[in-house]
Amino acid sequence: MSAPSLTPSTTDAPRRTLPRRAGPPPSRDRFTRSLRRNLTAHAFLIGALVCFAVFSWYPMVREFGLAFQKTESGHTRWVGLDNLTTVVNDPAFWQAWRNTALFTVLALVFGFAVPFVAALVINEFRHGQAYLRLLVYLPVMLPPVASVLLFKYLYDPGYGLLNEVLRFLHLPEQQWLQDADLSMLSVVIAATWMNMGGAALIYLAALQNIPGELYEAAELDGAGLLRKIWYVTIPQTRLILSLMLLMQIIATMQVFVEPFLLTGGAGPEGSTTTVVYLIYQYAFNFNNYGAAAALGLLLLVLLAGFSAAYARLSRADDE
Amino acid sequence: MSQRTLISPAQLARPRGKIVYWTVFAVVVTGFTLVFLGPLYWMISSGFKDSQEVVQTPPTWVPKSFSPGNYSHAWEVMDLSTLLLNTLYYAFGALAFQLVLDVAAAYSLSRLRPVFGKAILGMMLATLMIPATVLVVPQYLTVLDVPIVQRNLLNSPWAIWLPSVTNAFNIFLLKRFFDSIPQELLDAAAMDGASPMRVLWSVVLPISRPVLGVVSIFAVVGIWKDFLWPMLTLPDPSKQTLNVGIYSLSNGVPVNVLIAALTIASIPTLLLFLVFQRNIMSGLTAGGLKG
Amino acid sequence: MRTARLRRTRRTGAVVVVSALALSALAACGTSSSSDDSGNSGSGSSDPAAPLDPKTKVTITIDCMPPAAKAAELKEWKEDVAAFNKTYPNVTIEGRSTPGQCLEPPRFTAMLKAKSQPDVFYTYFTDLPQVLDNDGAEDITAYVTDKTVPALKDIDPNVLGSLKQDGKLYGLPTSNYTMGLLINRKLFRQAGLDPDNPPRTWEDVRAAAKKIAGLGKGIAGYGDYSAANTGGWHFTAAVYSLGGDVVDSSGKKAAFNDAIGKQVAQNLHAMRWEDDSMGKTQLLKWGDLQKQIATDKLGMFLAAPDDIAYMVQQLGATYENFGMGPIPGGKNTLAGGNNYMIKKGISGDKIKAAIAWLNYKNLTVGKGQFDWARTKADKLPVGVPQPNFWLGESKKQDDAARTANATMPVANFKTFMDNPVAGKAEPPKAQEIYKVLDNVMSGILTDKDADIDKLLSTAESQVNQVLANQ
Repeated sequence: MSAPSLTPSTTDAPRRTLPRRAGPPPSRDRFTRSLRRNLTAHAFLIGALVCFAVFSWYPMVREFGLAFQKTESGHTRWVGLDNLTTVVNDPAFWQAWRNTALFTVLALVFGFAVPFVAALVINEFRHGQAYLRLLVYLPVMLPPVASVLLFKYLYDPGYGLLNEVLRFLHLPEQQWLQDADLSMLSVVIAATWMNMGGAALIYLAALQNIPGELYEAAELDGAGLLRKIWYVTIPQTRLILSLMLLMQIIATMQVFVEPFLLTGGAGPEGSTTTVVYLIYQYAFNFNNYGAAAALGLLLLVLLAGFSAAYARLSRADDE
Repeated sequence: MSQRTLISPAQLARPRGKIVYWTVFAVVVTGFTLVFLGPLYWMISSGFKDSQEVVQTPPTWVPKSFSPGNYSHAWEVMDLSTLLLNTLYYAFGALAFQLVLDVAAAYSLSRLRPVFGKAILGMMLATLMIPATVLVVPQYLTVLDVPIVQRNLLNSPWAIWLPSVTNAFNIFLLKRFFDSIPQELLDAAAMDGASPMRVLWSVVLPISRPVLGVVSIFAVVGIWKDFLWPMLTLPDPSKQTLNVGIYSLSNGVPVNVLIAALTIASIPTLLLFLVFQRNIMSGLTAGGLKG
Repeated sequence: MRTARLRRTRRTGAVVVVSALALSALAACGTSSSSDDSGNSGSGSSDPAAPLDPKTKVTITIDCMPPAAKAAELKEWKEDVAAFNKTYPNVTIEGRSTPGQCLEPPRFTAMLKAKSQPDVFYTYFTDLPQVLDNDGAEDITAYVTDKTVPALKDIDPNVLGSLKQDGKLYGLPTSNYTMGLLINRKLFRQAGLDPDNPPRTWEDVRAAAKKIAGLGKGIAGYGDYSAANTGGWHFTAAVYSLGGDVVDSSGKKAAFNDAIGKQVAQNLHAMRWEDDSMGKTQLLKWGDLQKQIATDKLGMFLAAPDDIAYMVQQLGATYENFGMGPIPGGKNTLAGGNNYMIKKGISGDKIKAAIAWLNYKNLTVGKGQFDWARTKADKLPVGVPQPNFWLGESKKQDDAARTANATMPVANFKTFMDNPVAGKAEPPKAQEIYKVLDNVMSGILTDKDADIDKLLSTAESQVNQVLANQ
């Protein structure tokens, strides 16, 4: 058997029929044993649990508190919904949500599809696979801030390389980051360049595990290239695809460095202001932690709803 | 290892198939080379340009001027070795913490099944959906004054290490892997009277190497990429990470020196990668993450 | 039963190992960053007005020490510490430095929240409300007297005024600025313009910018910011220059959506799009225009004179190349500056040591930053008109020393010096308003079809909201 994969392998199917433990007499004090088992289990858990409690769950609870508080001249007081009103009335509020939605869509199209297609293509080659894999993964090894600053230089409409390439190809020059319609896309392209390596390699591994017979069978049915992809490749990599989709969504929501360094965060006419950047602005430029927390809370509620939906969908999918 | 893939060997063997294959191959190899090495060439070569040429419109493909002094200047003003050592210290410390605590937690959730185990896992996974930036404010306030023990972790590696343990994704990966280990293996060990610790150590971990490789890479890359959190929690310049150090530098030096600095900062990890690429690649690809 | 016990102990072993790791991790990190106040020996007098006893043994931490990139200033800093230690041998000055800007707003905010600022910390004049909100600075009114700061009476009261709230003093200035028009003399000459006569009106700026941009090679005539809140800062400066205001006198309403605001916006839009004299690269923030002008890619921009020292030292520019005129329009000019404050709650002796050091380094004519002979010897620019917060006798002495050691031709600054423009402080809630005005700037400079009226009226309602949310 090869190394166990992430999918529950067929070998563990019969485990439920096995007695959980063939050891000591069952009768005596079941309670003590279960207590002991639980003590052990929690002992293994405690380290991570403490970290989660202190650095994740407690801050989450605190976020709720902060959202309804205000600090002035060193005094903190409860202000009810004041912070929420402030945030919702901020003219940048709706723009930030629109931008975040746009960014998510673009990031999914690029960040999710591009590495998959790249992996699909690389996997077909009988030569040079190692070289191509190396290339794709190379940017992941650069310090991210260095990559972003490099892209800022590449994107410069005057002395940047990208416009020079366009000139060379006799294509119209672009303003890239400085064009309100193009700025978000430019950020996403840079982010994809930087981050696609890991995803592409994971897809590649998944593709190499697809049994060849499946393709042969599809060919016997007269399936063309696209049908083979649709009916064999995608179903066979479905699990990894959905896992990576989840990761990609999470990563998208976290994005901060790229817009922060490429467009100064806000972008031309506020076109790259995301909700997350707005939170950052409140907290660290306007010294208004209350408003930052209130906006964070809104995002939290939205994402909670989103993940509940995701969980429901994926469960329905499993059955 | 010639494996059957999407396109059938028969199709490729035909003359037309061969032509198409080699054309696509040539286009893709050239394209990838330009896309992935082009920016790197641009970075290294621009680092040699003088301050005029580097911001010249239109830019020059090959440097006309040659100022290697940029590199020595960049080296002087950027304390690369400190920044790099700091980053590695944080990254591998975080890795150690995650390997010990997250593996133990995932093992417990997967195999020891404590009461509330499901709820705990659910709460852990819930944190995945919350962007780090959203929690950065309360998390930051927490680090300033950690509850119960009343410590301020600012400027200390603990501010990086401990929060890194809350990596629900890694716990999730580990747990799924542990779930798939055949129960008979563990039962056999348990029957010999091995404690859970011993089962974990001598049965589970040895067969978990692939997933441990993936988790390790994710852990290290996570710290390597982080920017806002270390910028806030490690304000002391002598404790900064590479990312934050480069960012601090970006406003203080001319463009050509900055680009030279970017090149210098990229070299150590690129070298590391080229040397260990086999291990890293196989860690990522062969490692457990299969469809 | 032996095996059972063994099993149990092993299991407890596991418990201990894992949980100990977690708990000790939390407990064992001895990293309280709050600086210990035990450094003082208590020998000093408790009277705040009394100067520091030279025997006092105390360590003070201070930020914004010049970084390695500012080699010359770092050398001077070390010399000054050594000289200071001759009088106060037991005072240890522990400097911290950051490459780039000393004050990074997010880090500064975080630092105040954490109360992790060093004993003596660097701020901008506009930071005072934020510092006080966080209860971060010591009231040093009683400590600052003509004994501890002998030149006190000659410091411009306007400058000191920006460090006071409710009559209490919270900081000591290091420098002040008023904005002017910084020009690249080389490009002026090449474009056939007179570098000794920088443009004085915005129409002249536009005409000159067009000529300079005509030189080609990606050279821009005029440059301006539009990101990271610095765009709004410069928009404010431009509005001030024409006698306008950003916030009205009540402090409750935006005041820039008027003829003056439109004039500023239209002029910039025309320069960018009709004349194409502002270069292609926009979304610039502080530091970017300096890089451009230092490499002769930019003709002029609004700046404070102390930018020149930054450009010479860190960007390798030659100082003869720069000159300065008063702000075009000349009605008012944005005035600001930076200073050091002292952390609230540190010991009296530390406060005294801090004031003694700041007095030596920043507030003594002929010493520290005003030792112009040394500045000249270190090949830094001398003759830049600011920082200059002196009045009376001190001003006379300092001006004489500047002239005597000038490395920059004083003529380069003649029009700036001869035509002083009244300084005007930044608006309330400056950073939030600047963020809104950044959008106006980026709209004008990145969108050829920008609707100026709409940009301004949107910004107006946004600023009104910012001001209403106090």
